[in-house]
Amino acid sequence: MFRVDETRVGQWSEAETRVVERGAVGKFARALGLTSVVHFDPAAARSAGYRDVVAPPTFAVTMLPWQVPGLELPEAGVLHGEQEFEWGEPLCASDELTVRGRLEDVKTRTGQQGRMSILTLVSEAHHTSGELAFRARAMLIVTEEGEHGGR
Amino acid sequence: MEVGDVFGPYQFQISREQLVRYAGASDDYNPIHYDDAAARGFGLPGVIVHGMLNMGLIARWMTEDAFQGQAQLEQYSVRFRQMVQPDRVLVVTGRVREIDGDQVQVDVQLAESGQKPAVTGKMRLRMARGKEA
Repeated sequence: MFRVDETRVGQWSEAETRVVERGAVGKFARALGLTSVVHFDPAAARSAGYRDVVAPPTFAVTMLPWQVPGLELPEAGVLHGEQEFEWGEPLCASDELTVRGRLEDVKTRTGQQGRMSILTLVSEAHHTSGELAFRARAMLIVTEEGEHGGR
Repeated sequence: MEVGDVFGPYQFQISREQLVRYAGASDDYNPIHYDDAAARGFGLPGVIVHGMLNMGLIARWMTEDAFQGQAQLEQYSVRFRQMVQPDRVLVVTGRVREIDGDQVQVDVQLAESGQKPAVTGKMRLRMARGKEA
């Protein structure tokens, strides 16, 4: 079910804590075909100056809070239009991140494929030190099919 | 390195196995990435590649190949323009847009060979300490 509550646009979600897991970092790096040892070998990562294996930059997507106030996304019919990341202090295994997100903007357009909603979601993650881990911005398109529950 | 320098073209394919691996690694089990019938049910030609997998692969070619692990991504944005299907010949290229001290901005794209770009984007990288842009 797709629902937007426009009165809650801009409202941050409750902060959640997420831990960067060593196994998850390796699995993500392997799925991208990355070969650098800093993603797989803690000792090699430490000698390269990291606290532990370091996550590939786009690993941030696994830490995003997709549930934000005022938005319920349908299970299907959601297209990813744009994605942006800005990174601060790298994410290493065992790091604890505080993440939160908000729906920044909602637009409705009628095009050839019918009505669509264009959503902008913003999120941010900080290390326990308070340093920025990353900021993310996603533009999602919910098609009419998605609005009606898909299929 | 100079403004206008081109990285690539890097040619590769994305297998269905890689889609399944990425689905697991990113915890994205949308069936349009592994079930042809489900994908067709949504008007797609068959399974398509996760946008974030395309984004991650462009980053891999740039950080591991173009920059040889000597630069860190600081900022990266993409626009997903076309669906990408598995088992097609894909081409990633990058072009240096700006160099400012140890920061390099690169325009990147991913396209199916001979087709319009499916993903376009910009990234900013910072050279590792002691490495020149």
